Amino acid sequence: MSKHQYAMVMDLNKCLGCQTCTIACKKLWTDRDGTGYMYWNNVETRPGMGYPRQWDSIGGGWKDGQLQPSPLPTMDDYGHAWEFDYEQRLYEGKKKPVMASPAPKSGVNWDEDVGGMNGEENYFFYLPRICNHCTYPACLEACPRKAIYKREEDGIVVIDQDRCQGYRYCIKACPYKKIYYNEVTGKSEKCIFCYPRLEKGEVNACAAQCPGRLRFVGLLDDPESPVHKLVLGHRAALPLFPEKGTQPNVFYVPPFNPPKGGNYDKSILEDSRLPLDYLIYLFGPEVRDVITRLEAELKMAQAGGRSELLQLLIGRDAATRYRIKPELVQIKV
Amino acid sequence: MRINRPVFLLATALAVTAIAGAQAGKTPAGQTLNATSLSAPAEALLDGSALWDQAPAHRISLNRTPPLYDTDEPASLEIPVLDVRVAHAGGKLLVQMSWADPTQDAAALPEVPNTPPETRFRKVPTEADDRFFDAAAVMFPAKPSAMAPSLQMGDTDDPVQIYYWNAARGPMLMEAAGRGTTRRTGALFAAHGSYEKGRWTVALELPDLPAGTPLAFAVWNGSQKDRDGRKYFSVWQVLK
Repeated sequence: MSKHQYAMVMDLNKCLGCQTCTIACKKLWTDRDGTGYMYWNNVETRPGMGYPRQWDSIGGGWKDGQLQPSPLPTMDDYGHAWEFDYEQRLYEGKKKPVMASPAPKSGVNWDEDVGGMNGEENYFFYLPRICNHCTYPACLEACPRKAIYKREEDGIVVIDQDRCQGYRYCIKACPYKKIYYNEVTGKSEKCIFCYPRLEKGEVNACAAQCPGRLRFVGLLDDPESPVHKLVLGHRAALPLFPEKGTQPNVFYVPPFNPPKGGNYDKSILEDSRLPLDYLIYLFGPEVRDVITRLEAELKMAQAGGRSELLQLLIGRDAATRYRIKPELVQIKV
Repeated sequence: MRINRPVFLLATALAVTAIAGAQAGKTPAGQTLNATSLSAPAEALLDGSALWDQAPAHRISLNRTPPLYDTDEPASLEIPVLDVRVAHAGGKLLVQMSWADPTQDAAALPEVPNTPPETRFRKVPTEADDRFFDAAAVMFPAKPSAMAPSLQMGDTDDPVQIYYWNAARGPMLMEAAGRGTTRRTGALFAAHGSYEKGRWTVALELPDLPAGTPLAFAVWNGSQKDRDGRKYFSVWQVLK
């Protein structure tokens, strides 16, 4: 067990699906040989196939204390890193439109905004995803090389690139499919929660660049941190697929009040545009209580009261959204 | 990673049997491999030379490692035997391993330019994330010892050297001192693999080992998702 645990909360009511987080991460960490197809951070439309396709149903994680089997996703499931034929079309005079190659068949948010239908109304929302830096990481348990470790000082899960032999048991074991194989290096890679930034007191790149200001970062065990307040204080945020058994440290404030046409005043629990069953599928049955709490806070604010929770979720400035204190997690060597 | 207990015990029993044989001054469970002296430069033998016909072929039984992990897919014994020839040439020990494998799991991985990726418009892509390549290895004790090391990558007192060849990544020298300790040394050695008519023939150039050295062999079948301890292995054989 780590002495401290960094955590992130993402407010799904605020995500606009712009992928700025995705690009911030990509430019910083995965703009290298072999990393073209991989997005340590991605935003996907829900309901939807996800990235890689069907990651939520193919396996991995824990059940009754045992790792669960899973196939490896294929490159078709992730989406190949396609290139555009600019040279041929623009400079070599081939008079055809610029085309992507290989022909794209899937990608990081392939079914963008398709969503689902609830009666005659369409619904969808965006789900940004990073490694969950789990308390009980299935990837760590699966690695016969002991190449994966959870940092004692801050709970961040990382892969030792010197020890990794590219066996990919970790990818199979991760129920969130947030580890990627780099065939060029022959090793697996994943989100490192921007630990070099945190060590300098800077927040994760994905959070820093988020125009929707929906990410909150801090130590889960620090009572002053926004993530502690949201997860343990207000109990307004939940992990994804808690039944996978890994105890994620990334939490989500569920989307709670998109109204059906003409039903503005009605609660999502009464007549939801977004089927509650789907939110229960993603976040477990506790999502009902979280939505009830969020709606009560909203009603109070709409009646002229002051909601500490909603004020926090608005997250007006960086000091509200992040509390990065390297001195709290330093290990004396 | 949880180890499947009966399987672990079986593998341990195999290793113990081999060790016990060596301790008693007997040959471990395998065969004696007669090394033939050939008057040719070592390089000439690497590339499938007809000179190999002068060295007798030893047919060695391969064992499939049982599932080591709870989540392993079952794997059948698709490669039951391995043919091994051993020769002294040019002050080296050359080992030729040959086995039937209907699927050639190999690839020419793209060359990575020497320039830093951030200076290049295009990066080298990962072409596939779910393929595994055929491979072969010879393991022997890293230091002279009266007793054969554990078949499971040696042990603390009796470390092993592993001359490993991979159909996509080529040869790499490894060392280990027990299960889970395998480490690439970064050193290379001469090796050559060719695939013809459903058969791999791989020649490895080893240092000139003395008679009596135990040798163990391993083959990985990429199409069976072999990597790590998921492989075919022989018990210890003895070089003569």
